[in-house]
Amino acid sequence: MPHHEFECSKVIPERKQHAVIKGKGEDLTSCLPKGYLNTIPGSISERGCAYCGAKHVIGTPMKDVIHISHGPVGCTYDTWQTKRYISDNDNYQLKYTFATDVKEKHIVFGAEKLLKQNILEAFKAFPKIKRMTIYQTCATALIGDDIDAIAQEVMDELPGVDIFVCNSPGFAGPSQSGGHHKINIAWINQKVGTLEPEITSDYVINYVGEYNIQGDQEVMTDFFKRMGIQVLSTFTGNGSYDDLRGMHRAHLNVLECARSAEYICDELRERYGIPRLDIDGFGFKALGDSLRKIGLFFGIEERAEAIIAEETARWQPELDWYKARLQGKKVCLWPGGSKLWHWANAIQEEMGVKVVSVYTKFGHQGDMEKGISRCGEGALAIDDPNELEGLEALEMLKPDVIFTGKRPGEMAKKVGVPYLNAHAYHNGPYKGYEGWVRFARDIYNAIYSPIHQLAMVDISKDAIPTDRGFVTRRMLSDKGLPEEITSSTVLSPYTGKFDSVSHLRTKTYPDFPRAADTAGDAEEIIAVVE
Amino acid sequence: MTCEIKEKTRVGTVNPIFTCQPAGAQFVSIGVKDCIGIVHGGQGCVMFVRLIFSQHFKESFELASSSVHEDGAVFGACGRVEEGVDVLLSRYPNVKIIPIITTCSTEIIGDDVDGVVRKLNEGLLKEKYPDREVHLIPIHTPSFVGSMVSGYDVAVHDFVKYFSKKDKPSLKINLITGWVNPGDVTELKHLLAEMDVEANVLFEIESFDSPLMPDGSEISHGGTTIEDLTATADAQGTIALNRYEGSKAAKFLEKRWDVPAIIGPTPIGIRNTDTFLQNLKSMTGKQIPQSLVRERGIAMDALTDLTHMFLADKKVAIYGNPDLVIGLAEFCLDLEMKPVLLLLGDDNPNYKTDPRLLALQENVDFEMEVITNADFWELEDRIKNKGLELDLILGHSKGRFVAIDYAIPMVRVGFPVYDRAGHYRYPVVGYKGATWLAEQMANALFTDMEYKKNKEWILNVW
Repeated sequence: MPHHEFECSKVIPERKQHAVIKGKGEDLTSCLPKGYLNTIPGSISERGCAYCGAKHVIGTPMKDVIHISHGPVGCTYDTWQTKRYISDNDNYQLKYTFATDVKEKHIVFGAEKLLKQNILEAFKAFPKIKRMTIYQTCATALIGDDIDAIAQEVMDELPGVDIFVCNSPGFAGPSQSGGHHKINIAWINQKVGTLEPEITSDYVINYVGEYNIQGDQEVMTDFFKRMGIQVLSTFTGNGSYDDLRGMHRAHLNVLECARSAEYICDELRERYGIPRLDIDGFGFKALGDSLRKIGLFFGIEERAEAIIAEETARWQPELDWYKARLQGKKVCLWPGGSKLWHWANAIQEEMGVKVVSVYTKFGHQGDMEKGISRCGEGALAIDDPNELEGLEALEMLKPDVIFTGKRPGEMAKKVGVPYLNAHAYHNGPYKGYEGWVRFARDIYNAIYSPIHQLAMVDISKDAIPTDRGFVTRRMLSDKGLPEEITSSTVLSPYTGKFDSVSHLRTKTYPDFPRAADTAGDAEEIIAVVE
Repeated sequence: MTCEIKEKTRVGTVNPIFTCQPAGAQFVSIGVKDCIGIVHGGQGCVMFVRLIFSQHFKESFELASSSVHEDGAVFGACGRVEEGVDVLLSRYPNVKIIPIITTCSTEIIGDDVDGVVRKLNEGLLKEKYPDREVHLIPIHTPSFVGSMVSGYDVAVHDFVKYFSKKDKPSLKINLITGWVNPGDVTELKHLLAEMDVEANVLFEIESFDSPLMPDGSEISHGGTTIEDLTATADAQGTIALNRYEGSKAAKFLEKRWDVPAIIGPTPIGIRNTDTFLQNLKSMTGKQIPQSLVRERGIAMDALTDLTHMFLADKKVAIYGNPDLVIGLAEFCLDLEMKPVLLLLGDDNPNYKTDPRLLALQENVDFEMEVITNADFWELEDRIKNKGLELDLILGHSKGRFVAIDYAIPMVRVGFPVYDRAGHYRYPVVGYKGATWLAEQMANALFTDMEYKKNKEWILNVW
């Protein structure tokens, strides 16, 4: 029986359906945990709420917007500054967050007037910002405030101002995933098609499900621009509100995080006939294939191939330096949702590590399908894990490193397992060729930290080596490696800079002349769809 | 020269200084041994609060959620609490105390948490856990009332009220610390030990700074026990260091069990620490020993090196928990600094009559503003649009962007601090805290001179 029963969860038998160990010769048809079901109260699950899924994950990475949460201050405060979605406009969306500050009297008498005052105050404080998103919270959903009506009222009164409303209270669904869905649909219903974008290329995409964690979006957009592709909008990292109103004019939706943003892609296909192409920015092979697929779609494969060749030549020796040293290291891949399948295969193939467990906090069964199929035999897959199961799994699997969130990372630290932040990264970005090497570097630095090794020494019992006053990572990682690797003149550890992103913001790109007839075709296609 | 106490005039909040009540109750909950709280509401109310605790203390703490979903919001979610209590008890054999902490959503839908507790006490606990000591404590902390500060006050009160019981009089005192760091608790216990005073420290969170042990056995958790809480009724007195974080419990003990209470002052700075020792002396009859005279002398020596030469007349803005802010402002005045702007992040009506603020009003000889129900825009707007010039900002990490964007030196103090290393380990209370604070402020100013090339060749050299 592939289902795995945790000792600590025997008293809640339904949990058994939520964990599997992939056995010999088994595939998805014989083992798949249940997923995306209601959380068991009191289990100390790691899930968040639908409000944070909508506002914190998808809404706020949008960069040129006043983001207001309509409710008491806590929802806003708690999510503020806990994620690294940077932007190229001095991080306005990270620095400023707004709460309508609903108090008891508003709960009794309604908070619509309060909301309107808030909107006006916010626009007054930041006169240059003309765009706003408003997020419902548990409190204002329950008292039944009509946020849409207030937003419309303000838009009627203040020409030039545009407001988006997302009704996704914290209780709306088993996890943050419910909020992802709600904001996807709300955006296409309210905003897509309300602004006509300027088309400057024959090849136009929306980059969807990408949140610019430590600069991922900027790295990926660099590749697209080098291919002469116009990135009409990014949903939503480093994305601009008005650009996202023009999503309907793209020729292709390039989808990164299919967990959080496939809904809007599917709607864009349904309503505007724009095809969806799922890609992967993580890993040399997956990224190369992704660029190739996009190139193939537009008939510009050679541009993709040129980038792949150049980037691979530049970074492969550095990735391989780490691969030689990470070979066989055991990893628990415990992210939120999509990274379990984005990373599972790629890190095994390209960094040599072994994924001994995957888990997902808010993923659905589809994410588990992809994740488990990309894991090897014996991997433990857990849906909606909880504190005790996590500890039991660490005890059982004894991984060398764990990729997870900040707080579970602290739990792992205490049992002697180093962690990397899977949501916000350590020293990212991790997308792109260079980013992937940075990820390998961070994994290497975690596993071979001399301090981590020292933490395992019990000075009351163990032998205390007194021969020297230090140990380097290389002394630990290169022990037993063949001479041709340790003294290779080809392989090299990471040589990039601390900041691998800022220079992209001032970069210039080659001018690809547009083919007049192709442009005509594109417009025809759109006309037909309309 | 005036000192105005006024409420923010805007209704909204741009960059909040505080989070809401349930977070305060959760902070109390993790300070108690064999206790895991269940927060009755959406999952984010727990998940993000646990994250902020881990960002600040670099540790993971256990708190559960009743995971209210849509059906619960529509039909009532008391069943989620019942199930949650059972699941928690069945998987955590050491848990004895479960506070049920309410939130905005479950207060609005009107879940009868007290009724659920009665039902569980009569039913589940008797039937399934007859031989087990279990305490369920309803804590009402709707998010639309007060702030994390009042949530803390309410929860301390509710814990003390639930457990306190007279047995036989003891010589111990109760020391209710308020929302502090492990380093503060260490320093307070040191002062108590030097005074030879036995105290019941609520809450015993020194252990939040916990080790990474070779056998991986350590879990971060507070150390206050049921016995400690019960014995609060037998103490010869209570000192609540903070007026807004713990005084409700001190007053309860006074009224219900005749345990005399002294509220405040927060022992920040030399003068307030002196008063704290004086209060210990008057409550217990113990003398202030030479060792503390000497320790105080070391602090005075350090401060004398800094005050009139470097710190005098420096203009400071301070924000955060009210007792912390007021204590820091008082200390700054002793250091000859000018706390020109104090921001208190909630609308507690008692601020207007706080004797410490009234004393500031009477005596400061420069323009000073105290803003209640404040947000960070009150700070930034004054700098950006109204010509406020500051030399220093004191406060927690959430306000860091003002310091960064306007290049104003800042010393992180309060909760949460997630962009500096190790702050939870250092005290801001007691003589050691006074020294540490003054030296942090001086060093922040020195570094700033170097960055701004502002007389650094002469002014940061003794």
